[in-house]
Amino acid sequence: MTIVVGYIPTPEGRAALAAAVEEALRRDESLLVLNASRGDAYVDPGFAPAEELESVRGQLSAARVGFDVRQLVRGKEPAEEVVQAAAEVGAELIVIGLRRRSAVGKLIMGSTAQRILLDAPCAVLAVKADAHHPAGERTRT
Amino acid sequence: MAALSELINGFGTALTPQNLLYAFLGVLLGTAIGVLPGIGPAMTLALLLPLTYGLNPTSAFIMFAGIYYGGMYGGSTTSILLNTPGESASVVTAIEGNKMAKSGRAAQALATAAIGSFVAGTIGTLLVVVLAPTVVDLALKLGAPDFFAIMVLAFVAVTSVLGASRIRGFASLLIGLAIGLVGIDQVTGQQRLTYGVPQLADGIDVVVVAVGLFAVGEALWIAAHLRRGTAQVIPTGRARMGREDWARSWKPWLRGTALGFPFGAVPAGGAEVPTFLSYVTEKRLSKHKDEFGHGAIEGVAGPEATNNASAAGGLVPLLTLGLPTTATAAVLLAAFQQYGIQPGPLLLENEPELVWGLLASLFIGNVILLVLNLPLAPMWAKLLRIPRPYLYAGILFFASVGAYAVNASTVDLMVLLVLGSLGFLMRRYGLPVVPAVIGVILGPRAEVQMRRALQISDGELSGLITPFSAVIYALIALVLLWPLVNRFVIRRFRRPRHPVPVGHSHALVELADELAAPPGEERREEGDEKADEEPEHATADAPRRQT
Amino acid sequence: MISRVQRWGQGRSEFVVALLLLALGVLVLVDAARLPTTFTQRGPVGPTAVPVVVGVLLVVTAVLLGLDVLRGGHGEQESGEDVDLSHGSDWATMFLLALAFLANILLIERVGWPVSGAVLFFGSAYALGSRRIVRDVILSFALSIGTWYLFAEGLGINLPVGILKGIL
Repeated sequence: MTIVVGYIPTPEGRAALAAAVEEALRRDESLLVLNASRGDAYVDPGFAPAEELESVRGQLSAARVGFDVRQLVRGKEPAEEVVQAAAEVGAELIVIGLRRRSAVGKLIMGSTAQRILLDAPCAVLAVKADAHHPAGERTRT
Repeated sequence: MAALSELINGFGTALTPQNLLYAFLGVLLGTAIGVLPGIGPAMTLALLLPLTYGLNPTSAFIMFAGIYYGGMYGGSTTSILLNTPGESASVVTAIEGNKMAKSGRAAQALATAAIGSFVAGTIGTLLVVVLAPTVVDLALKLGAPDFFAIMVLAFVAVTSVLGASRIRGFASLLIGLAIGLVGIDQVTGQQRLTYGVPQLADGIDVVVVAVGLFAVGEALWIAAHLRRGTAQVIPTGRARMGREDWARSWKPWLRGTALGFPFGAVPAGGAEVPTFLSYVTEKRLSKHKDEFGHGAIEGVAGPEATNNASAAGGLVPLLTLGLPTTATAAVLLAAFQQYGIQPGPLLLENEPELVWGLLASLFIGNVILLVLNLPLAPMWAKLLRIPRPYLYAGILFFASVGAYAVNASTVDLMVLLVLGSLGFLMRRYGLPVVPAVIGVILGPRAEVQMRRALQISDGELSGLITPFSAVIYALIALVLLWPLVNRFVIRRFRRPRHPVPVGHSHALVELADELAAPPGEERREEGDEKADEEPEHATADAPRRQT
Repeated sequence: MISRVQRWGQGRSEFVVALLLLALGVLVLVDAARLPTTFTQRGPVGPTAVPVVVGVLLVVTAVLLGLDVLRGGHGEQESGEDVDLSHGSDWATMFLLALAFLANILLIERVGWPVSGAVLFFGSAYALGSRRIVRDVILSFALSIGTWYLFAEGLGINLPVGILKGIL
């Protein structure tokens, strides 16, 4: 069984990863970390550079969690990719980071989180970037 | 010096609040659009031309000056900050600039680029101010046969030096000449190539040609091969430099200016060859040779200065002789013609306010560029988040509105589509676009000069020969014979050392390459480096494999 | 094996350029031929001189280019920062783009720029892959109406207003 994490190189994304690691350790499952981008702009802040993904892999090995880190740039919306991946691997849980968006922001930019919540084939854990616990630093000792 | 007092008058014209606003707007728009990849300064100018229709010429040109310089700087910003995996050396600045950014020195790269551009732009413009009146004095002594000879030189130079295939360059020129023929013959009033379409009687508007070949053609071409990929922008703060950076940058700035200006002033010199030469020179002269390829600041400072100096240099033949030396200059010339102003030796006499106002606003534009871009560079990078479909749809959109606004005629839009398709075909089959634009713009003028000269001599071809034009024709012969020289003399020099953007390799670049590398040991070293580089950058004589 | 056929196919398509040049040259020459050249023209070199030269050169170049293609030479496709040359041209996209462009040409004087421009932008964006329909429609109209105002108020150039007459 797998937990799918929608990862972006931001505090929200890292918080999601940290929470996912906790869940994975608690449920004894492996992680599928997905960084997806539509790829139709020159710059996508949601696109994780190679070094970042390497550091994620390092983090996950240190946490002793089974993992698979994938980066998909296929012209599909990230929400679509996450939902599809979850369906494919029969995931029990999707973990995503949540960011406050104004109504106008949602109108113009759309909400990935909303799409995932509505379309997901399983439970979804939405995590906020926590100011007190710097994201990405949780490991099981 | 009379020039100085004229220049001060020019500042008077340029420093009005309204014109300052236009200068500011020009720099803003130019940089913003220049940041977007795939859109060069020539296209930016062509797209923004229609915006200036309602303005008086002086204000319009002040805005153009801003767009001219802004466009160049915007491009550098992108090439430095875009964190694409692998080498992205389509612009010489990017070779070192990108590496600097990747090692955390983006701010310094941006700063040296901005300040270098400023220095080169200022010195270059000063040189224009000083040289223009002198050149104009010389030019006034020239007659029709001399002008004709110069234009033929421009034709030959632009087809022979640019691009790898001379026959295709020549074909492109001929296409341009043919397009330029459409319309009423200036001397006899006969209609040519209009085929009964009344709107074509005035000829095909140069702006439509420029927008069609540059903007629409490019947009269509890119659309057909849209790359699906994205990257991150390397985060950076305000552009700034440390003391050591200044110390290492100032000489490359000056050397770059010295290299760029003459090249820009010569027909078809352009900016590619001198920026490459500048890079090679800086590498040769640097005390930090080993840093080259990993982020040497000299490799950004020199080429950036060269770029701007070359642009300034291009203004000398443009303003004094009406001769464009680059694509961007050609579009500027089109802009002049749009207002019914003919750049040439008489321009300075007839429109001193315009010319000096323009030159003064180049200085101002330079300053605005520096002030705007040092703090704002990171912000420009945000523009890169616009998805490509919107960018290219936007180009087609603005191209259409611009072409329509020229004459309020849908015929122009049809012409735009046809020319855009032509531009696409030319890019597909390797015909350079610049000779076509130069052909359209200079062809009719060359014809007028030739007929005038022959009229005076009553049809005798010797009427085309004067001491001056004879020298020019000798030069033309030299340029035409260059490939033979190349083959037998320079053949020994083979592989270029540095990644050469495909399509731009030619004899001069190979020569420069060889000059940069001391013979012997470096050759082998570079050969190993070559092995790990991405095959994107074809070496000049590697078999060109195409699918 | 496939690539060899491809290469021959491509080499063949290069002939298109030579053919085009030839056609253009003929066009120019034919047009020059129909120009009346009488002695009332001013100067010994009349309006036909340059067209003839250009036409002849076009034909010559067409032939030379054809020979070059036969010998295996071909033009370098223009590369760029955003160009991915590993696949062939995306004809579907091109066709849609041309369609959007033509739609604008046909519509601009009938229904006005605010509508035709929006069609152009939306069509182009769609052709290039953008699928956010609602957002794109809004954006297209914002752009077309915005530019209409910009040109009308800011520059004094009146783009046709068409069916929105009275509202704008």
